[in-house]
Amino acid sequence: MNSGSPQDGSSHRRFNPYRWPNRRGDGQFDRDRRGAGGYRGEGGGGREGGGGGKDKSSWYKMIIPYGRKYDKKWLLTALQNLCSVPFTPVQVKESNALKPIQVHVCLSIKPGRQVARSNPRVIVLMNPCPPPAILNTQLKPEDIEHLKQCMAKRFDGSQRALDLNNIRTDPDLVSQNIRAILSRKTFMDAVVKIIEENIPELVCLNLSNNKLYKLEDVADLISKAPHLKILNLSHNELKSEKELDRLKGLKLVELWLDRNPLCDQFKDQLTYISAIRERFPRLLKLDGHDLPPPIVFEVVSPTTTPPCKGSYFGSEEIKVLIMHFLQQYYSVYDSGNRQPLLDAYHDGASFSLSLPSSQNPNRCSLREYHKDSRNIKRLKDPSTRFRLLKHTRLNVVALLNELPKTQHDSASFNVDVNTYTTTLLSFTVSGMFKEVDGKSQDAVRAFSRVFIAVPAGISGLCIVNDELFVRIATTEEIQHAFAATAPTPSSSPVPTLTAPQQEMLSAFSLKSGMNLEWSQK
Amino acid sequence: MGSLAEFCPFCNTADFRTHVDASCRYSEEFTNIYYDCMDKKRRNLMRLYLDKATLVWNGNAVSGQAALGDFFESLPSSEFSIQTLDCQPVHEQATQGQTTLLVVTAGQVKFDGQKQRYFNQNFLLTAQASPTSDQPVWKIASDCFRFQDWSS
Repeated sequence: MNSGSPQDGSSHRRFNPYRWPNRRGDGQFDRDRRGAGGYRGEGGGGREGGGGGKDKSSWYKMIIPYGRKYDKKWLLTALQNLCSVPFTPVQVKESNALKPIQVHVCLSIKPGRQVARSNPRVIVLMNPCPPPAILNTQLKPEDIEHLKQCMAKRFDGSQRALDLNNIRTDPDLVSQNIRAILSRKTFMDAVVKIIEENIPELVCLNLSNNKLYKLEDVADLISKAPHLKILNLSHNELKSEKELDRLKGLKLVELWLDRNPLCDQFKDQLTYISAIRERFPRLLKLDGHDLPPPIVFEVVSPTTTPPCKGSYFGSEEIKVLIMHFLQQYYSVYDSGNRQPLLDAYHDGASFSLSLPSSQNPNRCSLREYHKDSRNIKRLKDPSTRFRLLKHTRLNVVALLNELPKTQHDSASFNVDVNTYTTTLLSFTVSGMFKEVDGKSQDAVRAFSRVFIAVPAGISGLCIVNDELFVRIATTEEIQHAFAATAPTPSSSPVPTLTAPQQEMLSAFSLKSGMNLEWSQK
Repeated sequence: MGSLAEFCPFCNTADFRTHVDASCRYSEEFTNIYYDCMDKKRRNLMRLYLDKATLVWNGNAVSGQAALGDFFESLPSSEFSIQTLDCQPVHEQATQGQTTLLVVTAGQVKFDGQKQRYFNQNFLLTAQASPTSDQPVWKIASDCFRFQDWSS
């Protein structure tokens, strides 16, 4: 292309040909600050390409006259090192006119002046240009098929490992004239898609020696190959560990990164390891070396629940109070006539009953309870919802009297005390009972019942809310139920309360706005 | 909590029917929020509890927001499926006028690392006046949870 004249200050985005003075070249490239000398015949200043902040990527064409005489690999590396910002050579073409090598580059900077020393001298002409046609090339279906066959050959099913090391030199592809350059989006996307469709169970992937300078397209593997644990990215062109941020979702256990420019950025091994571990906290092996066990601050997700314990009363006094109450309550409940329970309930008491949902196969044999079952998840009609909540002790006990006659296994009782205050005691009883007559005679049920009570007198409780959940007992529960001979109600002695316990209970009952005293009949 | 005595979220009158209707609505809404939080936003769960709330979880007693926060973090991730829901307004005599709901649930839960299990749970919810709306904010005063097969 053209070289602008040195005095041409108006063509903003053109580089003048600049020469790299032949100093004591040692093959190293330095970057001078802009405006420095060392240029011959350069006009002053401003190569600042027209105004900063261009859009993210702009296309430039670099032309190196007589480029053929240079080793291409050396040349490209040199150009990369020269440029303060990494650029992507997209296409390198050799052209006959002047035998230049044309390098299409994608640059995300505004052009600035660079000076470099080198041996030998290289002239680089750089001009903006439209995006090259090559970008639009999609892979042909037959190419994709060849790629897939090639990958299949390189896949080890027993290890679920895919080896794509240096794949552009694979004879199968080369013979088909397919240049599988994985640093190109079209190829990497094709590879990822083939993995997704054929081997999503992939555990181990080798991408070494593929000139990868970015991992943007590899990142798709996070969702498409979720079991990937071993990744080899060694011998590539990754310049910064920040590139690895794109792969953060992978639960890598083993990673190879050596022979990437990024490895030289770290002042010592520990910093290197910790930077990599920041991205992959589960990493156990890096560059073939076992890592010391990680200091993990993140809480690994628990997979066990706390052990289950039996009754929780909170205090011995409450335990006595409740056990006393339950004994009396169930002795009436199981007696065949529940009418005396009126004395156990507050005037304004509420009661409702619920069962497992109809999806539960066990529900169907609880027919006697169906008509009174209140499940507001299924029941939407407000009138029905209201009707099924029994209010006032008369209504409560009327319903209790209709429920099947029972025999409870008090040995099976488990009690959890939810809350107790000076005015409220709430506890949940669960256990087993047997139906003693009717269609389901001897059927064993399990129940969970919440009682909310207010103090009544000095030795009792008065129920204000009562909710009963009934279900079928499991086989295991049935085996353990009714193991000990339960004492018959009439013969069981009532435990008497010691003096300190009585005192405690009277402290508990502040105001007994009750006109009832619940006591054993 | 000054004006809580005057604050009745159910209605202006003491009509029992209205209490019941409202308590059904509130408990449905509450359980949706609670179990969604339990499954998907576990870190926020403790905010649904009063500071002095108590939880009895399969016989393990946990009390206070800080302990509740730690406890919920220690539980594996969960998938709850509520199949039964019942509720009752709690008699004011027990609560000294502080509007309270009894909510009872049953269903299945799958904790990560375990098989799916049936459970029973019940809550006492108390109404707190909200500074930003005329609807109350319900907070859990007590929570009792048990697997149906806890002893196996």
